[in-house]
Amino acid sequence: MAKMHTKKLFIKALNKKFGKDFDLAGTRTEYKRLGPEQSARKREYMETANRLAGKRGISFYNPYVHCGGIPLGQRQLVPYKLSGTEYVVEGDDLHFVNNPAMQQMWDDIRRTVIVGLDMAHEVLEKRLGKEVTPETINNYLEILNHAMPGAAVVQEHMCETNPGLVDDCNVRIFTGDDALADEIDDQYVIDINRLFPADQAEQLKASIGKTTWQAIHIPTIVSRTCDGGTASRWSAMQLCMTFIDAYNMCAGEAAVADLAYAAKHAALLQMADMLPARRARGPNSPGGLSFGFMADMVQTSRTKPQDPVAVSLNVVAAGSMLYDQIWLGSYMSGGVGFTQYATAAYTNDVLDDFSYYGVDYAVDKYGGFAKAPQTIEVAKEIATEATLYGMEQYETFPTLLEDHFGGSQRASVLAACSGISAAIATGNSQIGLAGWYLSMLLHKEGWGRLGFFGYDLQDQCGPTNVFSYQSDEGSPLELRGANYPNYAMNVGHQGEYAGISSAAHAGRMDAFATNPLIKVCFANPALVFDFADIRLCFGKGGAREFRAAGDRALVMPAV
Amino acid sequence: MAYTPQYYPGSTSVGINRRKHMSGNLEKLRDIPEADIVLTMGHRKPGQDYPSTHPPLKEMGEPDCPVRQVVEPTPGAAAGDRVRYSQFADSYYFSPSIPYWRSYWGSINCRGCDPGTLSGRQIIEARERDIESYTKKQVDSEMNDVALSSMRGCTVHGHSLRLEENGMMFDMLARTEMGKDGNVYQVKDQVGIPLDKKLNLGKPMSEAEAKKRTTIFRVDGVPIGGKTGARKYDEAVEALHHMWELRSKWGYRPE
Repeated sequence: MAKMHTKKLFIKALNKKFGKDFDLAGTRTEYKRLGPEQSARKREYMETANRLAGKRGISFYNPYVHCGGIPLGQRQLVPYKLSGTEYVVEGDDLHFVNNPAMQQMWDDIRRTVIVGLDMAHEVLEKRLGKEVTPETINNYLEILNHAMPGAAVVQEHMCETNPGLVDDCNVRIFTGDDALADEIDDQYVIDINRLFPADQAEQLKASIGKTTWQAIHIPTIVSRTCDGGTASRWSAMQLCMTFIDAYNMCAGEAAVADLAYAAKHAALLQMADMLPARRARGPNSPGGLSFGFMADMVQTSRTKPQDPVAVSLNVVAAGSMLYDQIWLGSYMSGGVGFTQYATAAYTNDVLDDFSYYGVDYAVDKYGGFAKAPQTIEVAKEIATEATLYGMEQYETFPTLLEDHFGGSQRASVLAACSGISAAIATGNSQIGLAGWYLSMLLHKEGWGRLGFFGYDLQDQCGPTNVFSYQSDEGSPLELRGANYPNYAMNVGHQGEYAGISSAAHAGRMDAFATNPLIKVCFANPALVFDFADIRLCFGKGGAREFRAAGDRALVMPAV
Repeated sequence: MAYTPQYYPGSTSVGINRRKHMSGNLEKLRDIPEADIVLTMGHRKPGQDYPSTHPPLKEMGEPDCPVRQVVEPTPGAAAGDRVRYSQFADSYYFSPSIPYWRSYWGSINCRGCDPGTLSGRQIIEARERDIESYTKKQVDSEMNDVALSSMRGCTVHGHSLRLEENGMMFDMLARTEMGKDGNVYQVKDQVGIPLDKKLNLGKPMSEAEAKKRTTIFRVDGVPIGGKTGARKYDEAVEALHHMWELRSKWGYRPE
């Protein structure tokens, strides 16, 4: 029989949350009903609201309007430990409005496009008779890093952006061609050999080949003022003007139209697809972001490749925040509930404990990551074991159950650990997905409850889409996304699906899950958010230690 | 041939109790006055006429419809009552019923009802006089314990929280309270509006009785899968595996 690995990683967090002296196994407690005053953050909010009341001239934040004067805080309001870190923050600090790191993560995705250089170079050489050399590329990149933030080239007397507002904007290139990369000024290169472990670098360079790509990050302040669709438009104009400047072209001849198409659009990779009219969102909106792309944006796979669970859990954190808190919680719905759901997946080391247990179980039994047969039998065995272990922890530690007080939280965590474990064990995301759905059914069977209404559809009907190859529903998990038919409405799923997509490839020690260009682009050290350690960044944001871009203070009166 | 539904697998007390709930063959433990049920539900005052949304069906001149001829309207539908609800929260700590089993009970045993199942609460909607009747059946029967279950229309938080020191399920709005005489009293209606008088719901079950009557699998009661390191699947798990596997394979249709 497989060895048992019950590390109980969550106990440290429970002690930090509930205080050291409580009885871990106690099923009864005294509820002191101390109200919002027990929380430093709620007190701060009340003080702030009082201070602003006169200025606003209209009523404002007042927790005592809740339910006939009975405010939240009738139970103990507890803080949250960011999993895998030492950061302990208030729950409020994990609402994306209060957390600049969370905002910046989405800003950094939304303001990014990847644009190929090769076709533009071909047009320059064949249509316009220009010579393209490493020297001209270096010159082009210098001009581009002047122009892309919003500065003028070619034209005279233009209105430009203040560099102090747009200093997060940059363009670097990457290629699978080591010889070319060596010729480019280091400041303009995302160095695959330096940033990735050797085996991953070889995989990435082989996949990218001798093609060359620009990782373009327009200013945060631009994408916050406009939207995700702006990234390609803003970059397109600056790309074209830069080519005209760098290669001394005529600004009006017809051949420039060929270049413009080649340089702006022909080799453009958006981070997310545009959505159908009923959702009415352009490209680079979270609803069009595939789980595989999300998995590739997160960089833990290159910094901790030996720990596929950590890789997967950072993807879960990024996805839970983006898909649940920002996409479903604000684009698609509204209010405050979504943060509470999503945090369960990346706080208090609960999903960590359950996932390490499931993966250790599989490694003991099958001899390593991605060693288990890719069969439905394996999904059944691992998902059942992981789910039953997780349920047992909730039953054994009452404050753990109290912490994940909603069924949707528990369902997401139990199914995620099952899916991640099965995916890492087999190196196959579809087997992971099969494990996810089995976990949902087991959970419902054991406790006679699951999540909210939507789980009836998505999770109880879900097993039928795992092995389907019908159009619309038959995509591999990596190519599904937030707008996949049954996935479009349910919190607590999409980040975890991204995590399962990642887990399969992390288990196989792949350099990327879906797209090597995305993986390399987000290795850019000049990004404001650190995609290698998602949860640490969220903790910094919650602790008010994170400096985001896009600040307007420079051009406003001091507060 | 007379068909006897089997409802649910397993020979454990949980399996047996689940079958009982689904069959509707439940033991009556208490008799809460109808007026108290109506007060707790909070939709109308006891003795008040039922508000209606349409005239009685007999006065409406219904179309010639074979389905209407086959299906006899419930009393509430026949009278034209509005649709109202009752919603229950059930504690993880061995409450007798759990959300899906309240829904299964409703779906199998209550005509003209619409159950909705969530994790922390379970709602049944029906015509007003019908839902009053269905609610009384739940409250009076072994589906309910007055400490571990409660009617909560909103702010239902509590099913997964530790119990109060007196064994009551946490309720932010404190709709029920434990009296000095050991009886539990309803002091607010299901949406938290204070009642004019306290309603005596009777004494809670002992822990042993709650464990005996519960429908929830738990590792400290009847486990569904044994314990970590000593797995032993309940028959419910075996049946579930079979269903999940067929459901998964059905989705792969190469025809």
